[in-house]
Amino acid sequence: MEQRLANTWHMTINEKKFIESALSKNIRVDGRSPVDYRQLTIKFGREDGSSEVQLGETHVIGLVSGQIVQPYRDRPNEGTLAIFTEFSPMADPAFEPGRPGEFAIELGRLIDRGLRESRAVDMESLCIVAGKSVWAIRVDLHILDNGGNLIDTANIAALAALLTYRKPECTLGGENGQDVVVHDPEVREPLPLIIHHMPVAVTFAFFNEGDAMVIDPTHKEEAIMGGRMTATLNSNGDVCAVQKAGGDGVSLSVITHCLRLAALKAVDITSKIKNAVDSYNTARALRKVKRHNALVAPDITVPDSVMKGNQIGQLAEHQAQKFKEESTKTFDTETVVGIPKETVLFNKKNINFIRKDSDSFIGGPSNWDPYSQSIPPTFVRSSQIFPGLHSSS
Amino acid sequence: MEVETSSSSTASLVDKAVVPGDIVLDLTSMSDQTIRLGAGLRQYSDVLSVVKAGKLKFKKPNKYWVESSQKRYAPSVEDTVLGIVVDARADNFLVDIKGPTLAFLPVLAFEGGTRRNIPKFEIGTLLYVRVVKANSCMNPELSCTDASGKAAEFGSLKEGYMFDTSTGLARMLLSSPTCPILEALGRKLSYEIAVGLNGRVWQKILVEKLMQRVQG
Repeated sequence: MEQRLANTWHMTINEKKFIESALSKNIRVDGRSPVDYRQLTIKFGREDGSSEVQLGETHVIGLVSGQIVQPYRDRPNEGTLAIFTEFSPMADPAFEPGRPGEFAIELGRLIDRGLRESRAVDMESLCIVAGKSVWAIRVDLHILDNGGNLIDTANIAALAALLTYRKPECTLGGENGQDVVVHDPEVREPLPLIIHHMPVAVTFAFFNEGDAMVIDPTHKEEAIMGGRMTATLNSNGDVCAVQKAGGDGVSLSVITHCLRLAALKAVDITSKIKNAVDSYNTARALRKVKRHNALVAPDITVPDSVMKGNQIGQLAEHQAQKFKEESTKTFDTETVVGIPKETVLFNKKNINFIRKDSDSFIGGPSNWDPYSQSIPPTFVRSSQIFPGLHSSS
Repeated sequence: MEVETSSSSTASLVDKAVVPGDIVLDLTSMSDQTIRLGAGLRQYSDVLSVVKAGKLKFKKPNKYWVESSQKRYAPSVEDTVLGIVVDARADNFLVDIKGPTLAFLPVLAFEGGTRRNIPKFEIGTLLYVRVVKANSCMNPELSCTDASGKAAEFGSLKEGYMFDTSTGLARMLLSSPTCPILEALGRKLSYEIAVGLNGRVWQKILVEKLMQRVQG
């Protein structure tokens, strides 16, 4: 018991009285005005659907993943959405590992209600085969640092992760046309989720028996607040959820004032999330484009000899000539029939790649498969140097 | 572990940054001398080596110690610290001084303290206390009197505001001559300040104004 007392954070009476008396004069300890948010930073990870949000000192990570499951009996053509929260003990000495505490469950329910009841995430687009296979979207929120106002931060993390998540494309195939074929992201571009609007949570803390109100409380302010209210609105001004669990009572005029403030803050935060998601999508698209240029620079992957671009082109041309001769000679042999044409075609493609600015267009097939760059350039080179070796079919 | 005889560099390490493993003194060259070791130094057979990174300090005639700045506090005797009352027991108060364990403040460790006039401290009271006993294996013991038994400004601090700093900043604020930050602040406002070596600072402005944080 003593060890637990030693490890918890304690607040002095001096701090409590100081913060309360400062708030009665509308001053906050960190210099903000009562209706200001702290600085918001939204970052994304490498994978689709992972976000990292920092609001002042509060730090939350959001991860979205999808799985194909059977739908619920009463909703056979809708997907499912589930929110899981993990309160890491490194975030706050009060967080214990193991079963989620009361506040952890409240946080998860609040974010879930904001997304589900307002139908922000389109569930019917998650259906693959009605009654059999639907997408189950799972949002994991990891609290890394509790600097106050976890609800708003976790909500922004969930929204940012959902907006950048891409689910793999599925089609119906197989023998009976009923099997679900999930396409690899490398083969077919994965699809983003359909999000109709963004419900943004804005948290208010009440002090001095409802006389003072602040937005975005810090950890110390949360420790001494009398009550808390969270209003989830979108940028259109629609109220998606309101939560006030216990605490000091506040009058109706205060509540309507809070809702009006929340509408303004929601617009602000929505634009910040949108900007961050847009810049992430641009960076992602740029990364995709760069992949196609991998074969253009020929001197990157050659291990022993560094050949210049035109040299390789000339070599390829030379080999192509040889192949043409060979193919005419050995056209009737079974084992070689399919192959030389392919290698010739391949070399022609290669030539087009390497000497892209040359006008010696040999005139090969122009249906260039963008995903053939998965064949490494060393294989190409070996097929040029050892034409006889390429006899597998 | 190789021991280098670097006796010529002892004087040059004083007031310099040292890291664990540095040899401060080679005792084979000295005899019949009493050397007092403070925090961060340890004797390994016949050398004195550093165990904690920081700055090596020397006070005449024979005190050596290493000063380092951290967020944590390691209780040591005769330090004046700021503690928060966490619980009140029959014999002593449990006080949090930012150390690895809670510290005990005996209910009688006050000037003129008897069983009849035990002070009533609420949970969350801020106290300015002195560390009397500090071992790594036991809970530290505190006292609200100085060595001679007088009150000497120890006790509970009322009103004002408290904030956390590193131990290095707290030491800088307590250095003599007076730290320039305190002087500059004093020119604009009149205030009371109590600095705990455990990295806690309490301040009260004697005029009705909001205090700004003292940044180091």
